[in-house]
Amino acid sequence: MTDTNAELPALDGIRVVEIANDPAGEMVGKLMAQLGATVVKIEPPEGAPSRRVGPFAHNRAAPNPSLNFTHYNLGKQSAVLDLTEQERHARLAALLTDADVLLLAMTPHDAAHAGLDPDALAAAHDRLIVAWITPFGPDGPWANRLTSDLVGLALGGPLHTCGYDDHSLPPIRPGGNQGYQSAATFAAIGIALALIDRDKTGRGQRVDVPMHECLAVNTELAVPYWIYPRVVVKRQTCRHAQPSPTAPALFPTADGRFVYIVLVLADKKPWDLVVSWLAEAGMAVDLQDDRFSDPQYRQDNFSYIQNILECFFLIKNADEAYHEGQARGLPIGVLRSPEELYEDEHLASRDFFEEIDDGTGTHPHARSPIRIAGSAARPQRPAPLLGAHTAELLGRASTGVRSDV
Amino acid sequence: VIEMTRPNGAQSDRSVGSRTGPLSGVRVADFCWMGVGSVATRLLGDFGAEVIKIETRKRIDTPRRLPFYKDGSALTYGQEVIDCDPNKGGLFNNYCRNKLGVTIDLGSPAGRDVAERLISTCSVVTENFAPGVMERWGFTYERLQELSPGVIYARMSGYGHSGPHQHYRSYGPTVQAVSGLSFVSGLPKREPSGWGFSYMDNQAAFYNSLALLVALLRRTRTGAGAEVDVSSVEVGVSLLGPILEEVATNGRRTRGDAYPTGNRLEWPQAAPHGVYPAAGEDQWIAIAVFEDEQWRQLAELINDGPATDERFATAAGRFGAHDELDQIVSAWTVTQNAADAAETLQRRGVPAGRVQNGRDLVEDDPQLAHLGTFFELDHPVIGPAKFEGVPLHFSRMRPDHWRSAPLLGEDNEYVFKQIVGLADAEYDDLVTQGVI
Repeated sequence: MTDTNAELPALDGIRVVEIANDPAGEMVGKLMAQLGATVVKIEPPEGAPSRRVGPFAHNRAAPNPSLNFTHYNLGKQSAVLDLTEQERHARLAALLTDADVLLLAMTPHDAAHAGLDPDALAAAHDRLIVAWITPFGPDGPWANRLTSDLVGLALGGPLHTCGYDDHSLPPIRPGGNQGYQSAATFAAIGIALALIDRDKTGRGQRVDVPMHECLAVNTELAVPYWIYPRVVVKRQTCRHAQPSPTAPALFPTADGRFVYIVLVLADKKPWDLVVSWLAEAGMAVDLQDDRFSDPQYRQDNFSYIQNILECFFLIKNADEAYHEGQARGLPIGVLRSPEELYEDEHLASRDFFEEIDDGTGTHPHARSPIRIAGSAARPQRPAPLLGAHTAELLGRASTGVRSDV
Repeated sequence: VIEMTRPNGAQSDRSVGSRTGPLSGVRVADFCWMGVGSVATRLLGDFGAEVIKIETRKRIDTPRRLPFYKDGSALTYGQEVIDCDPNKGGLFNNYCRNKLGVTIDLGSPAGRDVAERLISTCSVVTENFAPGVMERWGFTYERLQELSPGVIYARMSGYGHSGPHQHYRSYGPTVQAVSGLSFVSGLPKREPSGWGFSYMDNQAAFYNSLALLVALLRRTRTGAGAEVDVSSVEVGVSLLGPILEEVATNGRRTRGDAYPTGNRLEWPQAAPHGVYPAAGEDQWIAIAVFEDEQWRQLAELINDGPATDERFATAAGRFGAHDELDQIVSAWTVTQNAADAAETLQRRGVPAGRVQNGRDLVEDDPQLAHLGTFFELDHPVIGPAKFEGVPLHFSRMRPDHWRSAPLLGEDNEYVFKQIVGLADAEYDDLVTQGVI
């Protein structure tokens, strides 16, 4: 049995109320809005903190919008409600009566300060899912510690494996707020699980999402390497941290860029692919000689082979090497910069970027990477102006908007 | 923390009981292998789905072969042990807990027939092969709909199932390269430091879990199944953050000497903000000062008087003197125990933390111990081992950790006889022919 609602966005009809002090919470709201949920962002009278964090459109701050805010808040509605005034909590309660999800992202201290008690809110609204992202958890010895993306990645483990071969340099934080992003992904999963449970039981519940724990289970191999052979892996430049050193995988190219490829010497097939590629460019040197057909000989002459490969990539442009290598069946990657993504023919053919008027002009914005065939994606809407939906959602009285003070 | 969700010794009894959780009653024909797919379907099994992992004896799943052994010397990832025991691999155990395991030779017509009969009992099918592999076996979305009306068919791949590069080969590090995540990570004027692990194997897996859950929600509400197409590269791009908007809106060019910024932030202009050496080998402390008062609290701990230096009183002043501040802070931290210094700073309201490694997380972290992050399950070959838990704490439900990873083909008899309904003679024939 299929009804016509299947053509609507996947989360059409789901209402989310978001009160978020960090990018983790804001990202969850964005993900859900992209999938069709209605997301109402509650902001204090001065606006969410993210509105004051750059970069700003056209490199000038207010009144130009924050692109940081734009990025994490596309497609949401904004209602101003000063929760430090206890009498205004009735307005929040009214908003929650027809909401499916209350999304909180703040420290236990800030939640208490705002008078937000997740258990009480869940108890007061039987069908409501209260998802709370905290830095370390709602309780426990570190519950009141402060975090940031860098501190979160440090304590959570991912940072230890990221950096350079040169260990006089510190571990280097990977870009893009991935500490917050990791918490956001799990929070979205938790909300979806609770919604599925509610379809069965008719009841909502509270779900806690400690960012620290999200990172601790997101090290890929560092934890299994400890659990099993009990070894602490060592950082290497732009490749897996390992128990012992491995060869560089980053190769500079003629156009001053980089490709990523791991030379696999043990297996005949990838070896033959590499050698035939080199031969076509006249750079196989003696690698086609019989002695190189022995994996052990290749292993013993590893640095010689690596040197030939380094020279080979230095005469190729990065994109040329990427497409040629892939055409030969080699898992090679090109290190794209952000601006180059908008020119990528593959992403373009999948219509991944969507041109929308975001308030500062028409610009491309990434769509949701979750593609469910048959369910429509609404055009993304811009990030909201502060309080754009206050009157519509809360009425004009008692919300803390400046006009009623 | 040993999390025993079942009474009556689930550790020794590996037979299938009834599952609990929001996904109980959902049966999954899981063709996933390697990392991304296995981690994606692990979450389904954790929350009650009956995930039937379909393997072939002709090409043993890589995580079964990688040398993550409790009793072995530490080999480098990628090194494989010849003639290894496929039931001994710790990484497979980590990825495939709470799943059933069967073997089918999909290269044979009889194997594909058994697979179709299995699929017809499942409402979800998952796979992360290169595009075209499932089609070669006849497992198109159209065919799966015939076998299981309303099926959700989750396709997980590097580049997605359309577009000119859909057949490009990928794994975590190349996805990180192509999506921009490697380029945005590193010190200025140097090669990118990128990632020391396959972050995108994990994040793509988690996004695939989420996509499956959203498709299940949608099916409950509309009755409609779906073909789900998640490209790891697109997930990676979507994780890049505000730099995407800066490039699109402000026309910023990121290739040059000033980008990326290592451990420093561009926005907000926090300083000092970095990772500083502590006493001991490879010991580091991350410190993030966002506010003037946080700086005063840090500066008070440092003897040489930066607390009174007026240049450092404002965020702009500190940001402009970041090199000098890094030296001042490093000279102090290098004499300190990382965990103790972080604790002192936290008590003073300064965001700080030790850079913890895998050992620190599993053995020493009091918050993870409090949360019960790592739990233990027994395994017939590996013995007791710790597992990474789910970082979600619900008020009314919990993960159903009923069993460690299946031995190769461990659940053939149960699945093919009880679920698929093969008669004993038919089952024996398939065993004899090497089909299962």
